[in-house]
Amino acid sequence: MRDGGLWSPRRGLVLFLGLCLGGVSQEAAAMELWGTGPLSNSSLKAHNDLEIRYWQVPDRLENFEDRDVLNYFEQVNRLNLLLSGDGLTLGATVDQVALFANRYVLDGELVHERDLYVRDDFVSPWDDSLIVAEKLWMTRTWDGVQVTVGDSYTSFGRGIALNAVKNTDIDVDTSIRGARIGVSKGDIDATLVSGLTNTQQIAQDNPNVGITAPVTDMVSGAQLTHYGLGPIQAGVHGALFRFGREPDRDLDGVARYGEGIDVSTAGVGITVPYAAGIDWYVEGDLFNYTAVELTGAEEGENLQGYAAYASASAYPGKTTVLVEAKSSKDTERITAFTSQENFELSNVPTLEYERVITEDGSAAVNSNDVHGGRVRLDYAAVPGEQVFYLATTVLRDLDTAGLHFNDSPEWVVHPIFGVQWFPDDETVVQLNAGFRRDQRDDAAEGADMLAHIDGELHLPAGHHDAIELAFAARRFFWGVNEVQQTDFTSMENALIWHRGEKLQLRLYQDFTTNELFLIQSQGNITENLFLAGELAWAPKGSSEVRVFYGAYKAGIRCAGGQCRQLPGFEGGRLSWTTQF
Amino acid sequence: MPRPSPLKSLLALCALGGLLASAGLGPGLEGVAHAEEAASAGGQMPAFSLRDMNGQEWNNTQLQNKLSLVNFWATWCQPCMVEMKHLERFHKAYADQGFQVVSVSIDDARSASMVKPIVKRNGYTFNVLLDKQTQLVSQVNPAKTLPYNMLVDGLTDPSKLTVVWTHLGYTPGDEKTMEEKIKTSLAGAAP
Repeated sequence: MRDGGLWSPRRGLVLFLGLCLGGVSQEAAAMELWGTGPLSNSSLKAHNDLEIRYWQVPDRLENFEDRDVLNYFEQVNRLNLLLSGDGLTLGATVDQVALFANRYVLDGELVHERDLYVRDDFVSPWDDSLIVAEKLWMTRTWDGVQVTVGDSYTSFGRGIALNAVKNTDIDVDTSIRGARIGVSKGDIDATLVSGLTNTQQIAQDNPNVGITAPVTDMVSGAQLTHYGLGPIQAGVHGALFRFGREPDRDLDGVARYGEGIDVSTAGVGITVPYAAGIDWYVEGDLFNYTAVELTGAEEGENLQGYAAYASASAYPGKTTVLVEAKSSKDTERITAFTSQENFELSNVPTLEYERVITEDGSAAVNSNDVHGGRVRLDYAAVPGEQVFYLATTVLRDLDTAGLHFNDSPEWVVHPIFGVQWFPDDETVVQLNAGFRRDQRDDAAEGADMLAHIDGELHLPAGHHDAIELAFAARRFFWGVNEVQQTDFTSMENALIWHRGEKLQLRLYQDFTTNELFLIQSQGNITENLFLAGELAWAPKGSSEVRVFYGAYKAGIRCAGGQCRQLPGFEGGRLSWTTQF
Repeated sequence: MPRPSPLKSLLALCALGGLLASAGLGPGLEGVAHAEEAASAGGQMPAFSLRDMNGQEWNNTQLQNKLSLVNFWATWCQPCMVEMKHLERFHKAYADQGFQVVSVSIDDARSASMVKPIVKRNGYTFNVLLDKQTQLVSQVNPAKTLPYNMLVDGLTDPSKLTVVWTHLGYTPGDEKTMEEKIKTSLAGAAP
């Protein structure tokens, strides 16, 4: 028999709290905050996301092949609270998760269980539910001065020396928990930040199983930018990093401040706006690694890395030209510790169309020795309504270690064509198509190739209705490599019927013949075909209820210079988003 | 048939009540409607200091004596691109009545070079600020879902920059509601 505790009092109470948060908070939003104290004239806003998922797990227990005993429920809630008044903002993000039916007990004996979290890492009165105050911050703003205590995000220059930002596309949210001071006075901007990394504990889109508390890393940095040096804007920045190691798990994170520095970065960025009709930006950054885990050398032997980035944009007539170039060596080493926690604190611009990056393409994103550029040409036939573009990326990737499938250096060439057309207020046409070739120096290794197309079509269908079609398709051809795989096709398509402003019926269809992905997910219609339906109802602009049933495929997703393998899903979901 | 436990009943009631209240149905109708009004009318624009695409400093002062539509967007946000041509139209059509569009790009540092080319290629003339470190958007929309619009009234009482309307997301047709709100706010603020 199944564990009878599907609705055990403890887990029920947590779900009860999660479901009630929205309603309670709506009352709070209506409440004016009176008084003469610092919170007078303040307002409270809340954004709540609740989701209940029923995971249909295709795996079967040995000797129980005829029973789907591994299926389980997961309930996730995220509440964002924001209290803002005269120059003062208090914010909190509170996440909560609970698992139900996550144990299989037969004749009083536990046969299988799915642990939500590692008990030694968290203090929680519940075995199968967890509440975490993910982010807490207070910001006080005076005339040109902003001080934040708690969680904040910071990036310097083009994000090469330090890039601690939220990346919701791949469900990554790592902040720096500490203090941040920003000063903006006249022509000078200055930023100082110091704290410990605070990763998101409870995933919002990915399954929560075996959650462990991360080991924190120390990050300190400063940036100074002068906007009034004649026609030039110039900035300097630098950051220090001390990463936590697994044996440090029991140490207080503050101990990081007493330990040696693992990496230091420093750089200069110069902007020259509209000189000779061109907007210029140039940045150079140096990395100094001292930790043996990062240098791969003897203790005491440092390793230096560098990154340079430049962009120039011009706007002749109806045409816009953007040229970007980069050269980086040993900058990805800095991610060695944090990538285990699925986040990065430094990113060199990829210059790639990140939407179509595959496992093979992600190697160039994470390369330690890559150089090249991109040219993009936009022609606005009708400005704001009809724009055609052509972009070409050329990269020389000399790194063959890590995620690379190739043994010899390669040239990556990737032209893309696109159009954006809004012929009237209700019609939208967007299209992107391209071809990427990764040509290895060793001719015997051949070349990896990728052809891709994606687009969106939004058409009026009378009586305030509309039809929307979003599609994306890829065909990938492998070169020769040690783990030879077969060429594959993958697609992600959606057909949406907008019924008035409040109702949407969505049909999703995924398809893949990628055997690597199929290890992680299997289609619910055929082995390769995934189908799902969703009904979304937004009775007010501030809230939406969604009911989803079906499956979608696993795959790699890249955003913000970072790639992550995301699992597939099969089952049902009930989601409720509300803002007030 | 086993009787449902009190906890299950309470849970079900709460879930149902919450959904109905969220939908604006049932006994919570007045309260919820009031809550939405209050949330819209009660908030103030937080203090901010950002640079525009040319490095000029912007703060709350530039929103005073204006009705401002503060629009948060990013170069990778497709619905934002569709919405922008309407913002440009509003910016031009109601400028003589004290209206302005202040668009805030929340592109992170890596994609900051894309912002100006997109604005230029479409010929947009509204103000474009850069919030590369998400300092302002974090204070008004921590979820950072895009596009996000705030209508800020600096006409009625310039010392109080009151947020009179907010809207999350964009679907073709939303611009009609947006324009209606702009017109209503301008009419309400007229001397």
